[in-house]
Amino acid sequence: MATYDFIFDGLGLRQWCGEDTKTTMSMSDLLAQRKGAAEPSIWELPFPSLDNLNDACPAIMQTRGLTSGLEDGFLGIRDSLRVVVDPITQPLSWFLNGALELFQTVPWFIMIPLMLAVVFVASKSWKLVALVGSFILFLAFIDHYDYSMQTLAIIFVCSVLCVLLGVPIGIAMSRSNALQRGIIPVLDMLQTLPPFVYLIPLIFLFSVTEPKLYGIAIILYAIVPVIRLTDLGIRLVDKDVIEAADAFGMTDRQKLYKVQIPLALPNIMAGVNQTIMMSLAMVVIASLVSAPGLGVLVLRGIRNLELGVGLVAGLGIVLLAIILDRVTKAALARVNTSQQQ
Amino acid sequence: MSKQIKVSIQHLYKIFGDDPQTALEQVKGGMGKTELLDQTNHVLGLQDINVEMADGEITVIMGLSGSGKSTLIRHLNRLIEPTAGQIMVDGDDVMSFGPEALRKLRRERMSMVFQKFALLPHRTVLENAATPLLVRGFNRQEALEEGRKWLDRVGLQGNHNQHPHQLSGGMQQRVGIARALTSNSDIMLMDEAFSALDPLIRTDMQDLLLELQTELNKTIVFITHDLDEALKLADHLVILKDGYIVQQGEPQEILLNPNDPYIIDFISDINRARVLRVRSVMDRDTSDADACVAEVDADANLESLIALSNGDTNLSYRVVKDDQLLGVLHMQELVRALVPTGAAEDGVRGKQ
Repeated sequence: MATYDFIFDGLGLRQWCGEDTKTTMSMSDLLAQRKGAAEPSIWELPFPSLDNLNDACPAIMQTRGLTSGLEDGFLGIRDSLRVVVDPITQPLSWFLNGALELFQTVPWFIMIPLMLAVVFVASKSWKLVALVGSFILFLAFIDHYDYSMQTLAIIFVCSVLCVLLGVPIGIAMSRSNALQRGIIPVLDMLQTLPPFVYLIPLIFLFSVTEPKLYGIAIILYAIVPVIRLTDLGIRLVDKDVIEAADAFGMTDRQKLYKVQIPLALPNIMAGVNQTIMMSLAMVVIASLVSAPGLGVLVLRGIRNLELGVGLVAGLGIVLLAIILDRVTKAALARVNTSQQQ
Repeated sequence: MSKQIKVSIQHLYKIFGDDPQTALEQVKGGMGKTELLDQTNHVLGLQDINVEMADGEITVIMGLSGSGKSTLIRHLNRLIEPTAGQIMVDGDDVMSFGPEALRKLRRERMSMVFQKFALLPHRTVLENAATPLLVRGFNRQEALEEGRKWLDRVGLQGNHNQHPHQLSGGMQQRVGIARALTSNSDIMLMDEAFSALDPLIRTDMQDLLLELQTELNKTIVFITHDLDEALKLADHLVILKDGYIVQQGEPQEILLNPNDPYIIDFISDINRARVLRVRSVMDRDTSDADACVAEVDADANLESLIALSNGDTNLSYRVVKDDQLLGVLHMQELVRALVPTGAAEDGVRGKQ
């Protein structure tokens, strides 16, 4: 007899509980049967959890029912969800495939100078160009050029999409307190959920071979800072300047484009920097679901216990991180100096 | 000298809180500011304000911090919405304006200068000065040309391509004034425009404003907490306290006939000889004009007269303006006018 029988007997719910029709047996049931039914002491009183209550009253569902119910529910809506989500996210697959294709087909002797030119335009610093150049040449020299380009291609597409989606969301949030209250918990959740957790439903939704699977995972993970900092940046714009803009009769649109966004730009840029760094972090994890790039090598290092491969790939990721961080920070610093208060 | 009324405010109330209309009834029923705050948790910002601002004059609204002066000036272009009352500009009821008309008013008929300058930090000085026209959608070249003109006029010839943060406070406020002038509006609202500047620069800016005013004849509404500044600039002085008008009128008039201990307190510190003008203390009876030793201008201050007379109180002067004899000034009258208004004993400060 189960521990909590007395509750259901006492409440007269025995009838409602019905007979024990359980056909499956859990491991603990089996163990209990083997031990024989010794009268349990008060010190061994089990917590009235679903499983323990189920022992006493079969009408109460087991915890196993909760997880399988979730799963069945998700599988139930999967097909209809797919009809909606699949076409919407299809462009993401195209972008990722296109970018991967582009970054790898452009020969290295064009790609590297091109990247250095971008670095110079963004930072106006020859020192940084030299640093980035030496890092890329080193990566190419140890035959990690293709992997690095794959990683960069994915980061490029995902970061651009994060900014395109995140900045408008941030602006909308800064304008409505209600929206801000609604979105902040979602952002908190995205930021704290272990990335593996939202890989799971994505795997069910899309086939593992599709690039958009990891694309979505990266964007969900990396979009948070750019939204947060856009919202913050626009809210922090000097109230006096906004008042002046009103006093001179600016329309809302003029205020947004001529005052708020330019003045929030340092914060938005800081958000973009964070977004890029987070997509780099995620692109490694995403190699679990077939994202190409340096992450694949790291994964190989773990799976096959190839210490050297894993460590060198890890170093490559660090170098890419330094490049991306320095270049975006240099761009940010240039924005900052041009508009000190 | 009847001037046309440019801006008029009638029975203006502003109450901050969740339910201002109910609170308004209570205020109209005679409830005071402190009671209102205690009983209903509403803040009485402005209470039955009636001011008329004449075309081409400088109206100075003076009061200590918290007296509601900044709130009041923001009602003129409706940066703050009143709880009740009427605001007329050129005979148009501003309260009836929709968003489009209101924007047009702010763009074309009123410009504003701010205490903290409120320039756009990411734009050059020239772009800042041209802002009002750029906002109105003028051709960029034209707007910059106009901005350039006004920057030169306020004495910033060499700074057009700098950013605001590279300028000193005084220069930044010159940009602020140039920006307001570029909009070519008749009305200029100046919210403690010179309060953030150090005293010498402040005097410079006051002189600049007066100089511009003689040339441009704008209708200026100027907010300040500084009595000296108020007396220097004002054609019409409005003194606010706790959201209501204590006294308003010609500054000389207020100085000679203060009607409230609060104002007596205010004016007890100032240098009367420098502020009072000959025309305010002269004798309009011109019969003994022949006995006078010299002519003085009606707008000269008493200090200059004391210097002129070398302290001799037996002299008299003919008071003229534009070659017209207005009256006679006896030095004895002058000395009498300099007697303090018995401030310290009656005033709030005297009791403490």
